[in-house]
Amino acid sequence: MTQHASPPRDSTDKVPPSGAAPAWRGLMAHADVRTLSLLGVLAALIVIGGITKPDEFLDTRNLQLVLTQASVIGVVTVGMTFVIISGGIDLSVGAIVALASVWATTVATQEYGFAGILFTAVIVGVGCGLVNGVLIAYGAMVPFIATLAMLASARGLSLQITDGKTQIVTIPSVLDLGERDAYVLGVPPLVMVFAVVTIIGWLVLNRTTFGRRTVAVGGNPEAARLAGIDVRRQRLYLYLLSGLCCGIAAFLLIILSGSGQNTNGNLYELDAIAAAIIGGTLLTGGRGTIVGSVLGVLIFTTITNIFALNNLQSDVQQIAKGAIIVAAVLVQRRTASTT
Amino acid sequence: MPEFTSRRGLLFGTAAVGAGALIAGCTSNESKDEPAANDQPAADDKPGKQVTIGFAGPQADHGWLNAINDNAKSRAKKYSDVTLEITEGSNDTAQQIGQIETLINKKVDVLVILPADGKALTQVGLKAMRAGIPVINLDRIFNTPQAYRCWIGGDNYGMGLNAGHYIGEKLKGKSDAKVIELAGLDNLELTKQRTQGFDDALKNYPNIKKVARQAAEFTVESGQNKMAQLLQAQSKFDALWNHDDDQGVGALRAIEQAGRDDFLMVGGAGALAAFQAIKKDDGVLKATVLYPPTMAASAIDLARALGQSKGVGGMAEFEIPASITLYSAVVDKDNVDQYMSTGFK
Amino acid sequence: MAPEPPLLSMNGITKSFPGVRALDGVDLDVQAGEVHCLLGQNGAGKSTLIKVLAGAHQPDTGTIRWRGEEVTLRSPIAAMRLGIATIYQELDLVEHLSVAENVHLGHEPTTAGFIVRGRTARASAAQLLKRLGHPEIDPGRLVGDLSAAQQQIVSMARALSHDVRLIVMDEPSAALDPDEVDNLFRIVGDLTAEGVAVVYISHRLEEIRRIGDRVTVLKDGRAVAGGLPAKSTPTRDVVAMMTGRNVEYVFPERPVRDAAGDPLLEVRGLARDGEFEPLDLVVRPGEIVGLAGLVGSGRSEILETVYGARRPSAGQVLVDGRPLRPGSVRAAVRAGLGLAPEERKAQALLMLESVTRNVSVSSMSRFARVGWIDRAAERGAARAATRELSLRPDNPSVPVRTLSGGNQQKAVLARWLLRGCRVLLLDEPTRGVDVGARAELYAVVRRLADEGLGVLLVSSEVPEVLGLADRVLVLREGRVVHTAPATELDEHRVLDLVMEGSPAS
Repeated sequence: MTQHASPPRDSTDKVPPSGAAPAWRGLMAHADVRTLSLLGVLAALIVIGGITKPDEFLDTRNLQLVLTQASVIGVVTVGMTFVIISGGIDLSVGAIVALASVWATTVATQEYGFAGILFTAVIVGVGCGLVNGVLIAYGAMVPFIATLAMLASARGLSLQITDGKTQIVTIPSVLDLGERDAYVLGVPPLVMVFAVVTIIGWLVLNRTTFGRRTVAVGGNPEAARLAGIDVRRQRLYLYLLSGLCCGIAAFLLIILSGSGQNTNGNLYELDAIAAAIIGGTLLTGGRGTIVGSVLGVLIFTTITNIFALNNLQSDVQQIAKGAIIVAAVLVQRRTASTT
Repeated sequence: MPEFTSRRGLLFGTAAVGAGALIAGCTSNESKDEPAANDQPAADDKPGKQVTIGFAGPQADHGWLNAINDNAKSRAKKYSDVTLEITEGSNDTAQQIGQIETLINKKVDVLVILPADGKALTQVGLKAMRAGIPVINLDRIFNTPQAYRCWIGGDNYGMGLNAGHYIGEKLKGKSDAKVIELAGLDNLELTKQRTQGFDDALKNYPNIKKVARQAAEFTVESGQNKMAQLLQAQSKFDALWNHDDDQGVGALRAIEQAGRDDFLMVGGAGALAAFQAIKKDDGVLKATVLYPPTMAASAIDLARALGQSKGVGGMAEFEIPASITLYSAVVDKDNVDQYMSTGFK
Repeated sequence: MAPEPPLLSMNGITKSFPGVRALDGVDLDVQAGEVHCLLGQNGAGKSTLIKVLAGAHQPDTGTIRWRGEEVTLRSPIAAMRLGIATIYQELDLVEHLSVAENVHLGHEPTTAGFIVRGRTARASAAQLLKRLGHPEIDPGRLVGDLSAAQQQIVSMARALSHDVRLIVMDEPSAALDPDEVDNLFRIVGDLTAEGVAVVYISHRLEEIRRIGDRVTVLKDGRAVAGGLPAKSTPTRDVVAMMTGRNVEYVFPERPVRDAAGDPLLEVRGLARDGEFEPLDLVVRPGEIVGLAGLVGSGRSEILETVYGARRPSAGQVLVDGRPLRPGSVRAAVRAGLGLAPEERKAQALLMLESVTRNVSVSSMSRFARVGWIDRAAERGAARAATRELSLRPDNPSVPVRTLSGGNQQKAVLARWLLRGCRVLLLDEPTRGVDVGARAELYAVVRRLADEGLGVLLVSSEVPEVLGLADRVLVLREGRVVHTAPATELDEHRVLDLVMEGSPAS
């Protein structure tokens, strides 16, 4: 999937060749508007939740619940955001989470205790990411196809490992991390991991050469290549990163659900892509923010929470989710066409 | 039905379910067996004519479906006169049709089909019947009775009904009792039927009100998620019915994480883990309503009987019935030992 | 002739894109039944002009009259309704549809408005193909299975399936062999005999001489000559208008002494099959070496192969006497090469990013410790590099796409300056750069050379090569036909060399 930076004649016809300063200010405003509008949506949701279910929604326990439920998919989304910014896509995240979670909860793995589970989850995630990366970067496969193949194989393999059975985790030190007793100053350990991954993701994207190269590869792969960036190696690393995030997420999911099951991570790929997109990441690559993606995840999780608290059923939830994705993309296109 | 007490329900369940009790269970008990009312002998354990049974089921990506396969296989192994041709499980309708057509071409004697989608596979069921191969339709029903010789399956409505009655009896006398429901995948008709049965049962208990319902997806992950939300939404309730023991693993995890134990929980399907928890009786899970995977074993028995042109023991008819609906028994601490061996992982 | 208005008359058309003025007051008159040739180098504005004519672009100012009446071409459909059809160089056919379906795409013959009458469509397509001299093309075949020449015929049949009064052909002969070109010219002759006007775009001057009636020459978004007689205007004059300067530029002075020292860049027998023949050249510190040639002479290909962006089929590139790994951009960059490519936006710039990030992209690791970027140091260095080149505005945090073409080019040069590059490869450095800003760029390039860089310059503008380079290699069809110090060459001599063999007059 090579994309050139869209030449001006196609994308910015309506922009007069005005001086640079106003356009720059415009971009600043839009960058802010994007984040602000997401915060606005989140605030509106909090108001709605607070009005409809004041006691249940505006409650420390509920905040802990929402953030905990956001943690697993949130970690996956951070990795996905990097991949999308680089102009790629990773459809295999859900399947990798499933595979990592079942591999890490087999009877054999559980014999090695906490470390065994954590290590296995991460290694399986990274391993799958490595396969994706090699196929895409050095096998010249389209990311869509390569990760689709990984999706199928990883799901198949996790089914084979579990035989369709739920693998219960019996290691107390793992299970305890999901209990209230493990909260530090009211913060669940899962949420801490999510926060740390988010902060590291933000720093890597905005403050490191790795992040710069990611943006360059996504924004204009040809220019990146001619500027001397090793585009292929960068792509490899990006899918490794996504796999790593899936491994971490799988570990969190094991803690959360106390088990490993081949159905884990169902449709995570779509949730993560949706969150990244409403967070302002361009599907064509070259632009995106970690903050936006995380806000996207929080918005989805909060909606689910409000709907559940108000006892609305899953059909309504799905409709609302679809509407939000469409609205966000429309807003994004408007801001894109006016910058 | 409304006046069913839980005990009577249990008795019915015991009689009806146990490892293929209705058909094979009785006949295997030869000494006490009454002769069949017709001249044709009922199917029994004695080796008879060789029968090749084709078995096509969906992909076993769920504990219950996996148990279906296991039940079919181990049952077939018991009979020296049965050869089982089992296909690779598939959730893809087109692929499953192809697999069944292959079995038809192989000219198996009887087909046992658990369709990925009953409506979509009706045509191939008809095709088999027209080719002279009788079809045992397992659980997910075809569109028309012409597509099968015999249907055997669970009772989703009955599951909800029995769960509702069990909870109703337990909360009898408690005023303003609240119950909540953790349903299965809402896209499936069976989920609607289970909910309908549950609601209908609760109508008999005016003191009970269902205050919340959320649908999970039969997975541990979704069970944990939706249960956590339900617990946050309802600070006080008396009973919970969870449609499925697999997602129940997640639901129990959420309950544990929330530190709640002020209600009773009834599960669904009959997983081993649920049976064990019920036996231990140290948590909220007090009972589970069966949706027995042993129906696959019964289906093999029926198929063998068909193949050997025999009837069903314990029944007066020459032929096996056209449809058999299994009873959704409630398993609680009192009778759990009896069912322990049928629990699936 | 009666004072009948021209079929088409475009007046004072301007069209700007961010950073570049693509059309700057262009006039074009086309009479019914004439072949009007449009000439110009890449980037002269031909594509923009025909897109305006096709309704694909809206002009910023200017008027378009059709048969004397002012019209607004809001969309390609509007243009098509008037009878203007365009055959683009990159044919816009649907490969997975049949010939007949392509011909009638968008206006299929139908029954009751929606049932496509396939037989009618095939019959009328067959008739059109016959008229175009290609009855052998089966209307039922998939377009993807046809040869390039046949696809072009289909594209033309599609144009003729409308009631067309004016056909724009963008380099129609580029993909054709001589026989097919003859057929094309016969078709053009038939069309004009029927009173259809043809706007014909080509780089091949001999073709223009064969079929053209009048010529308009575009240069830097302006029509430098309009409506010249195609048959009698001397070729050299036409080429001079295409490649020459309508403004006299002040080129920076050359250093007095010749560049000496060991070669920085040495190219030995470098070749790519089908693109250019084995080439030898040397660039010494302080020296600007120019490659002059028309489109298709292999200039850009040579530069990109030297840079490792294309893999050579033979030969070597040496920097400081050490051979580079062939086909590796990274090796070239590490050794000290830097390319300012022809398509700046598509090949060099990260358009969504700031100037700073565009400048630092090739030397990020210098500002980073274990991958962690010291942004203050990065900003400072980028600012120093852009200041040195007087990049405007003097604020490297603005997005690079808001800059003018000349300043965008400076951002690319600053990138290599910051990297500490030793040999600059410049491909059409003033493409898309406003005329007024060019002298400044020339001065920058010369100054960099004076500081000890080697420069390899490619340009289709002969005066630019002659004015800026110290030594010039003249290219023709992938072969160096002449090498000489720039001072020993003049524009006429170079034009003769690049056109050698073409029917000069």
